[in-house]
Amino acid sequence: MFNRLSIIVGGPQGSGLETSAQILTYSLAYLRYGVASDREYFSNIKGRHSYVHFLISSDKLPTSLTYPVQLVAALDHETVFTHFDSLQEGGVIVYDVSVEEKTLDTTPSMEEDLKDRLRERFRELGIDGSVKALVKYVSEDKKIHLIPLSYSEIINEAAKKLVLPASQAARYVSSIIIGAVSGLTGLGKNAIEYSLARRFYDRPELIQQNKVIIESVYDKVVRDHGSILKLAPSKLNYKEMMVVSGNDIVAMAKIVGGVRFQSYYPITPAADESFTIESYEKLEVDGLEIGSVLVLQTEDEIAAITSAIGAALAGARASTSTSGPGFSLMVEGLGWAGMNETPVVITYYQRGGPSTGLPTRGSQSDLLFALYASHGEFPRIVLASGDHIEAFYDAIEAFNLAERYQTPVIHLLDKFLANSIVTLPIPDLSNIDIDRGLITHKGGADYKRFDLSTKISPRAFIGYESIMWYTGDEHNELGHIDEDPQNREKMYRKRMEKIKIADEEIPQEKRLTYYGPEDADILLVGWGFVKGVALNALETLTEKGIRTAYLHLRMFSPFPSKMMEKMLKRFDESKIIAVEHSYDSQVSKIISMNTGFQITKEIVKYTGRPIYLNELVDAVLKILKGEERVVLTYGP
Amino acid sequence: MVRKPSDYQSDIWNDWCPGCGDFGIVAAMYRAFAELNLPPEKTVVVSGIGCSGKTPHFVKVNGVHTLHGRAIPFATGLKLANPELNVVVNGGDGDLLGIGAGHFVALGRRNIDLTIILHNNTVYGLTKGQASPTLKRGLRPKALPKPNIQDDVNPISLALASGFTFVARGYSMMTEHLKELIKRAIQHKGAALIDVLQPCVTYDNIHTVEYYKKRVYKLEDAGWNPVVEKIEEKEEKIIKAWIKSQEYDDKIPIGVFYQDPFTPSFEERIKERIPSYLGTPPSRQKIDREGKTIIDDEAFKKIFSHYIVETE
Repeated sequence: MFNRLSIIVGGPQGSGLETSAQILTYSLAYLRYGVASDREYFSNIKGRHSYVHFLISSDKLPTSLTYPVQLVAALDHETVFTHFDSLQEGGVIVYDVSVEEKTLDTTPSMEEDLKDRLRERFRELGIDGSVKALVKYVSEDKKIHLIPLSYSEIINEAAKKLVLPASQAARYVSSIIIGAVSGLTGLGKNAIEYSLARRFYDRPELIQQNKVIIESVYDKVVRDHGSILKLAPSKLNYKEMMVVSGNDIVAMAKIVGGVRFQSYYPITPAADESFTIESYEKLEVDGLEIGSVLVLQTEDEIAAITSAIGAALAGARASTSTSGPGFSLMVEGLGWAGMNETPVVITYYQRGGPSTGLPTRGSQSDLLFALYASHGEFPRIVLASGDHIEAFYDAIEAFNLAERYQTPVIHLLDKFLANSIVTLPIPDLSNIDIDRGLITHKGGADYKRFDLSTKISPRAFIGYESIMWYTGDEHNELGHIDEDPQNREKMYRKRMEKIKIADEEIPQEKRLTYYGPEDADILLVGWGFVKGVALNALETLTEKGIRTAYLHLRMFSPFPSKMMEKMLKRFDESKIIAVEHSYDSQVSKIISMNTGFQITKEIVKYTGRPIYLNELVDAVLKILKGEERVVLTYGP
Repeated sequence: MVRKPSDYQSDIWNDWCPGCGDFGIVAAMYRAFAELNLPPEKTVVVSGIGCSGKTPHFVKVNGVHTLHGRAIPFATGLKLANPELNVVVNGGDGDLLGIGAGHFVALGRRNIDLTIILHNNTVYGLTKGQASPTLKRGLRPKALPKPNIQDDVNPISLALASGFTFVARGYSMMTEHLKELIKRAIQHKGAALIDVLQPCVTYDNIHTVEYYKKRVYKLEDAGWNPVVEKIEEKEEKIIKAWIKSQEYDDKIPIGVFYQDPFTPSFEERIKERIPSYLGTPPSRQKIDREGKTIIDDEAFKKIFSHYIVETE
């Protein structure tokens, strides 16, 4: 029995694989397993290779993914070709016998680069390049357990049983994956049945149709092979678990945090967040409406940020959600919000750049851009979350900080988190504050929006009692254009000093967290999605006798300089390693800028795939042997 | 409370060039606002960049002077967050039809209840007289080193094609007429455009007061009926209006070209989906209970039950 399993399920984009992965995750949650997952896909609707990489645990909530894997369940031959080398010795592969004759030449959807590498590999192995030869090789040389199934037979039998045309039954082909994975891991049919009912509650006919396929595969696999990857019963005690992606949990957080206006222009990997919010536009509890959220799909990202600013001026909690190309268009609006002290939240899911880059892959290469985008100088708050739970609380706190300091807030996330579906306990809501900052409704005709007599001017909303002016020009206390040098100096300083106030008020421990033993030998430094894998690496390295700590940055502006400096000084300079999904290790530059401390060692990855535990551990060992910089590239 | 035009005049010194057509526009606004008795705290003038961009500072209602080309999306956010606001956008021809043309088109598609006053003077005045999107090809106002090589866009035709449900043209020297257009536009429930011919006395030596004096005539004097009286008339009326919009050389019609009271405004469309929208719009909702979220643990589980699995 396994306490931990790594699994890859793969197939062509648009084949139902994502739905299958969801159903499996619901089943795992039902059985209280901890699940982390990463979804990798091309910028494509149908036909290109996609896969979901899972880590399932019976005794903890996993926070990272690793190689090799114990199971590859392949919907098509491209999956077999792409992932056979990721299997651990003694692992299991599920594949379709009817594609046994396929070769790379009959796999037009695969990129030529990978084909070339595989051809080379097949030459080395001395195999002819067919699926048949490949599975024979893995079976003999890597002791891989083969689960050959005839997908067409399974579909035809199901069609007969359901009295459906085979073409229709074929639409549920990805259910074969569910049947195989659940049979091999021994999930139990009731868990699957529960998940089907959840997933297709509005289309009961689909429950039955998928169930027939799943059960026939489940029975066949268990009969012929047994549950050879049986998961140990979960030791986790949650009565309820959530199954959420990063996009989902941020949407939920915004709703809890009181967002009332969300604007967006469609972009990967941010758009799903807005869809989720829109599906809750009427907030109802027991049939009673407790609020509503207006979600506006705009004509571009410029309209997305400027309409959100407009809504904020009227008093609504307002946000927009985007990725790099969209944020590039928002930059002028961001500056206006800074100049006009407008609380607006920008949720920024980074993806691989520059330009269109890798539109469906992850990155952390926009840190410097988020911190410095827009001309001129103005304060901004920049938060970055390391996992789903941090993202939940940070998405709420972003609004509080925006209104408290009357400034734009950028909440930095990434594609890894956006598309990572995990199982989680329900977050605790009892300590969540809603802080709307200084608000006045009694300004009347004498109201000064940019009153200089206080450090932060009380804010009135347009449409209540007062009259006010806003302008992107330098302005006087009333909000009218004013180019006088003395006024300029006062207004400028007042705006800029807000970041100092925020720095004094926001505890540094909330912005920077140290994980690991006080007297660790080495220190990893990172932020965002690095957190999960760094924490797991810390355990693995400590098990290997290298006492490791991880320093996690959660806020870049205002930067927790003092605490950062204190933490870094505890370590020998050669034992501090920055880890980031980028080329330039931007976090090192920001630390150096704020503290003067130079981090000289770095582990970076810019292939668009997440840093895996196995490669991070190896990279740390290389650094300890004297390398300055390790570039990671693992993962198809 | 009765308000006079002067009640809407701010005490900011107006720095437009003496004789600028914009003075006629802002004067017509003061009078229209007074006749409609608009509450200043419930009214917002939104602008972009350029000479027209300064308009909000000269009006004593809420003013939001935004970015070049972006007045419409700023106004969209304000209006949708608080639909009881009267929102009047002032933008130049470069602002609304050049850098901001995408927003102009999008507004038509949404039919949000906004009034757009287009200061149309064929040049970029504040940057010293470059050709604007409404300048015809071949013309050479005095600042241009060479005649204009780009064709012009017709604001009336574009508004009709985009879905604006109130489309009119005014002339800044005929403030009484313009005031009436502004009143009608504000009262119209949907996206309203007033294309205002506005001589730039400094940089446009072609489209002068004399130029317009010879050409401008009122549609209403020619017996034009712009209003779609029955929904079946819509196609016929919009085609006629579009044909009329092409008349722009020897004779220039001013007045209302087209008005469609049937197409639902965006606010009405939202109300179809969120029935409480107009009563408690985004800006009027209470989002906390004594500093705590209104969604407690129990409400959270009920709202997001879709994501929650009760374990075995």
